[in-house]
Amino acid sequence: MTSKTDGSSFFTMGVDSGSLTGKAVIIDGNKQIVSHSVKQLGFVSQKAVTMAIDEALDKAGLGLDDIAFTVSTGYGRKRLEIAGKNLTEISCHAKGANYLYPEVKTVIDIGGQDSKVIAVDPSGNVKNFAMNDKCAAGTGQFLEVLARALDVELTEIGELSMQSDADIKISSMCTTFAESEVISLVAEGHSTIDILSGMHKAISGRMKGLVGRVGMQKPVMMTGGGAKNIGLVHALEKSLGVSIFIPSEPQIVGALGAALFANDFATGIRKKVEEEQDLDKSRAPAKDCASCSIQNYQLNKTT
Amino acid sequence: MAVQEAKRANRLKSGKLVNKLVNEYWEDLINAKKTGKKVIYTTGLPIGPFMAAQDLAWIHGEGYGARVAARHEEKEPQTFAENRGFNRELCSYARTQMGCAMFAEFGVPDDLMPGPIATEIPAPDAIVTCYPGCSTGPQWDWAIERVFGKKIPWFNVVIPYHMGRNGSTYMKGEEFEENVKYVERQFEDLIKFLEVISGKPYNWDKFQELMGVTKKVGQLRMEAMELCKAKPAPASFFDWSIQIAPVNYLTAWPGTIEAMEAVKAEVQERLDNGVSAVPTEKYRIFWEGIMNWNKLGWMADKFASYDATVVAGRYTHMAFWHEPDSIDPEHPLRGIAINHLECQLNLGYPITEERMMTLSKEYSIDGIVFHGARTCRSFSRSHFLLAENLNKKMGIQSTSFEGDMVDDSFYKEELVNTRIEALIESLEAQKSR
Repeated sequence: MTSKTDGSSFFTMGVDSGSLTGKAVIIDGNKQIVSHSVKQLGFVSQKAVTMAIDEALDKAGLGLDDIAFTVSTGYGRKRLEIAGKNLTEISCHAKGANYLYPEVKTVIDIGGQDSKVIAVDPSGNVKNFAMNDKCAAGTGQFLEVLARALDVELTEIGELSMQSDADIKISSMCTTFAESEVISLVAEGHSTIDILSGMHKAISGRMKGLVGRVGMQKPVMMTGGGAKNIGLVHALEKSLGVSIFIPSEPQIVGALGAALFANDFATGIRKKVEEEQDLDKSRAPAKDCASCSIQNYQLNKTT
Repeated sequence: MAVQEAKRANRLKSGKLVNKLVNEYWEDLINAKKTGKKVIYTTGLPIGPFMAAQDLAWIHGEGYGARVAARHEEKEPQTFAENRGFNRELCSYARTQMGCAMFAEFGVPDDLMPGPIATEIPAPDAIVTCYPGCSTGPQWDWAIERVFGKKIPWFNVVIPYHMGRNGSTYMKGEEFEENVKYVERQFEDLIKFLEVISGKPYNWDKFQELMGVTKKVGQLRMEAMELCKAKPAPASFFDWSIQIAPVNYLTAWPGTIEAMEAVKAEVQERLDNGVSAVPTEKYRIFWEGIMNWNKLGWMADKFASYDATVVAGRYTHMAFWHEPDSIDPEHPLRGIAINHLECQLNLGYPITEERMMTLSKEYSIDGIVFHGARTCRSFSRSHFLLAENLNKKMGIQSTSFEGDMVDDSFYKEELVNTRIEALIESLEAQKSR
């Protein structure tokens, strides 16, 4: 929680209306994170987004009126009424990743519905990017479906898969076909942990191709819900041959980037307002002229 | 709410002239049998003049599929074809025409209600295949032949790839010259085949006259497109997609010269008056991939809303009589072979890349959109490599999305939006650096 009257002077918010989760981040005028929230309720759930915004505001001790500017991102970005601007996850993840780790050059984001690889420049701009194909192959949804088929909690699959030494191959990256393949592997008697490990290897193989399209440059950061899966991170590190930096809260990186863009917009607006005010001051009559007939006439005309 | 102002594409008005010609062509085709004309099914390259010279009607499979889709009548024939075993992943042009041909041969099933265009296709008297760079084309015609009881005479012109062997490059080299001669010889045989089908000696005078028309229309189109090297561009790739018919299945159709003259005059007038294809041009885009016919207007407006003009494309600028000067109407076979051999789908990777780099320079391209047609992998086979190399060699950023030519079930609108918006955002960041 922060005080509204500290040195930051204004607040901005980034909202990531993702395919599976709603995320909100509030930062102050000095670009310091004030609060954040992640809520999961279902596909592009407006309720999850609203809950995330409310919680972030509540944690910060702020109301919506205290937010100078809001930027939305994610699949539902265009549906957020309070946003002054919407930007894609690509730009927002790049910006957020650069803020957290200014040296970062490659960002791998595995989200609910898509996965992407972004080449980032030192200012946090997108240099190049690649995204998965239309289907959910190699995404959070892919993992969710397969976890369900194996009757394992999504939060457990990372740790479990790390226990495997086996080399199970899941060849299909189509979620539907992979689900049948997993069921077949269960029927053949393979253990859950081995199958989970195979799933992570399959995704990391797919991501390696995507990374190759952009051209991997170190350091590499991983964002999105997929980064919370230690088994997947490990498989990716092995596949790419690099250490991957994982921020403490990888799911909010897109919303953080959006909040930073909101700060840029708010700063731009404030600067413009200040310039206009300065201009008005320079045009304003001297104090001893305030009661003259011309000034009164103008005031009367506008009221 | 963060809603962008809806800017719309300022499409060429003279494009409407083409509609009139298209309607005349289809009317002639539908009534061909009644007027005693034989009907030739063709797929692939625009070879209409071969048939027109002999007073034969022709139906171009892709053109027909595109027309059915443009009228939003594609679902029923596609469903019928799929029900008869033609998998959804197969060429959607082929599935559409196959479904229509099956309506003609087997009748319309009770559970389908196809539109009028989809049920008007006349049965073929012969088939001529002339497909570059795609193995599906000849199999498509083979399937058509089977639909009609394996009784249809069929001529297949083989267009060999121009791979760039032994130092052969675009329009030059040993491989190129050998290929031209090989295709020319096949055209001589095609003419003999059409003499048999029509039952009369080949009308060379008419053929030469029609190839004169083809050359003129090709020249006018290329000149009009080149006017769009100007900034802002007076017309866009989407306008040129609409203008494909006069250089595709309408090649040498009466009125095509006048239609293309009108198009060129409008583009010149726009240029003179500073009128642009999109209200505010900030970015210039190259479209790499085949056109998606049922999304044409939607795409044109989408790019306009992002202040982006799609100024050129491999589909429009690297095919369809794009080398008109190579046509000698007195001896037309060589020129036809050159245009067909050097079309976008038939070039090996190094030649394709070189051509795209040239166009990107000439049209001052900022970014590339790769449209990967789900059911035309022969068109999208080099996309990743092209994206990588054009970025490395020219610093051009790109984005890609999956769609299709005439099957809009392969679209997911939000995915397309995100990819295009992300490209525009990164171009914006690049410009502000």
